[in-house]
Amino acid sequence: MTHALMAAIGMPGFPPAEDLVRLLPVLILSTGFVLLLLLDLVTPPSARTALAVLSAVFLAATLGAVILGWFDTAHHGLAYYGSYAYDRFGLFVDGIILASALVVVLISPGYLNRRGLHYGEYYALILGATVGMMLLAAASSLVVIFLGIELLSVSLYILCGFAHTEERSQESALKYLMLGGFASGFLLYGMALVYGETGHTTLTGIRASLDALHGTDSLLLIGIGLMFVGFAFKISAAPFHTWTPDVYQGAPTSVTTFMSVTTKVAAFAALIRVFSSTFEGTYLKWNGIVAFVAIVSMVIGNLAALGQTSVKRMLAYSGVAQAGYMLIGVAVQSPQATVGSLYYLAAYAAMNIGAFAVITMMAGRGEDLDSYDSIRGLAFRRPYVAAAMGLFLFSLGGFPPTAGFFGKFFVFSAAIQHGQIALALWGIATSAVSVFYYLKVGLLMYSRPREGEAGYDWARTTVAGSVALAATTAGTLVLGIFTYLIYSAATLAQMGTFPVPPNS
Amino acid sequence: MLSIELFPLLLGLSAAMFTVGAVGVLVRRNPLVVLMSIELMLNAVNLAFVDYGRYLNSEDGQIFTLVVIVVAAAEAVVGLALVSQVYRSGRELDVDDLSEMRE
Repeated sequence: MTHALMAAIGMPGFPPAEDLVRLLPVLILSTGFVLLLLLDLVTPPSARTALAVLSAVFLAATLGAVILGWFDTAHHGLAYYGSYAYDRFGLFVDGIILASALVVVLISPGYLNRRGLHYGEYYALILGATVGMMLLAAASSLVVIFLGIELLSVSLYILCGFAHTEERSQESALKYLMLGGFASGFLLYGMALVYGETGHTTLTGIRASLDALHGTDSLLLIGIGLMFVGFAFKISAAPFHTWTPDVYQGAPTSVTTFMSVTTKVAAFAALIRVFSSTFEGTYLKWNGIVAFVAIVSMVIGNLAALGQTSVKRMLAYSGVAQAGYMLIGVAVQSPQATVGSLYYLAAYAAMNIGAFAVITMMAGRGEDLDSYDSIRGLAFRRPYVAAAMGLFLFSLGGFPPTAGFFGKFFVFSAAIQHGQIALALWGIATSAVSVFYYLKVGLLMYSRPREGEAGYDWARTTVAGSVALAATTAGTLVLGIFTYLIYSAATLAQMGTFPVPPNS
Repeated sequence: MLSIELFPLLLGLSAAMFTVGAVGVLVRRNPLVVLMSIELMLNAVNLAFVDYGRYLNSEDGQIFTLVVIVVAAAEAVVGLALVSQVYRSGRELDVDDLSEMRE
């Protein structure tokens, strides 16, 4: 009977088994998510590190499935009636997200133990948020985009409030929830208008319908604009960034490490899929707004970061500025721009996770390592960690031969090639400003502690922490030296996008 | 049965509800009222989806509405838990007072 009903509404029976293969990475990680939630109930508090190990195993298995999927081009295509894309674009982004999550899981147990926050739900929630991000990166329907965003957001709301007795953490979670819900409202209203005006919720359907429309309706444009506002909140682009510094500062540092990178990467993937690919035909109508938001983000992010005295807030504002640089890749309509954005996402993940990982690992028993004073003299006590931090800061500032330099180089050169010289000039000018605040922190690490003042009591480096730092350092250097490797992967990702490659 | 003539009217109503919700989030200071305003925004979206679905004669709008209802419930659960946590730690329920962090 159900079959007859489905046939009556024009749907085939059950999704083919092929679709399950396409969903395999997400399925593995979802299994881990549920399993960890259950295991937490029977795990004694002393054995919680085992949960960290298990979550790392699941993340590594998923990463393995993603890497296999990259080469398994035979299955690439749309699954579940066009709502989920199994393609190189999604898999490239999945790789960045999973690698970042792995580094975060490596550095978490030590930090959480020192802060007295080592609960098992932490790992389940990290995996839950990662599943949401993977769905978001592969979503090719408005419904799945919304589901992915909410799965990652709701998990992160809880993670931000993880230090539930601390006022800062409570504040961080509540602020994130309120502004996140507000942003979801805008995104959804935009989706409702786009659905109403095109009659489709799948990106394929929307694109076909947009191509058929002659002239664009004002309600449709409002819908596109509202969707952009929703995405801009998630990637913390100015002027929708006001939540970022408070949420980043108040959340436990390991959570900040995780969310500062992965949320932005996943939301950018969806943004590129929706704007550069689906809404490509209406490009001239929205590119001005995107370019404006990019410039505002670069200016506000960099100027506000200059006056900070908290490392976490400084990196939060730097994240706003980095979102601006990456948005240039969306504001410029060319395949190179999309590839540049993808490259920047990978570079941003390596260097930003690295910088935040240092702050997480060095945090002592009491307060988070947060104020500029607490980082003073780090190089004399922890020379290797300080050297790594210096590298990440150089990379964030855009010095060669690091990841950050080539990220900026590809995005700016794409802008110049397509005549958007103003955008590139704003980018170059603001990155010159950014050097000041990155180097300020770098210099503090290498300056002697003040006379007679007890320095901050930095934590010891653990084996897991060293592995995490080595991985992020290697990532920052590989992206800066073996540029061709990642650039060709990003090019393949751009070309292999379903349903239609962005800006092709 | 929803009459098709009501389509523009309902769309206008949903826009009005959305505006009321958005203004509520921006001006109200009690976190509980802010959460209610967010719910109002999401329900305005639901109305728009159902309305468009009826107008286009497609089920997608109604399916989307069901998804939104479920997600909104999940978000409300987390939101209320956070508000009660703030309240239990003995702080006043005022969004403006949530400002431990300033540079």
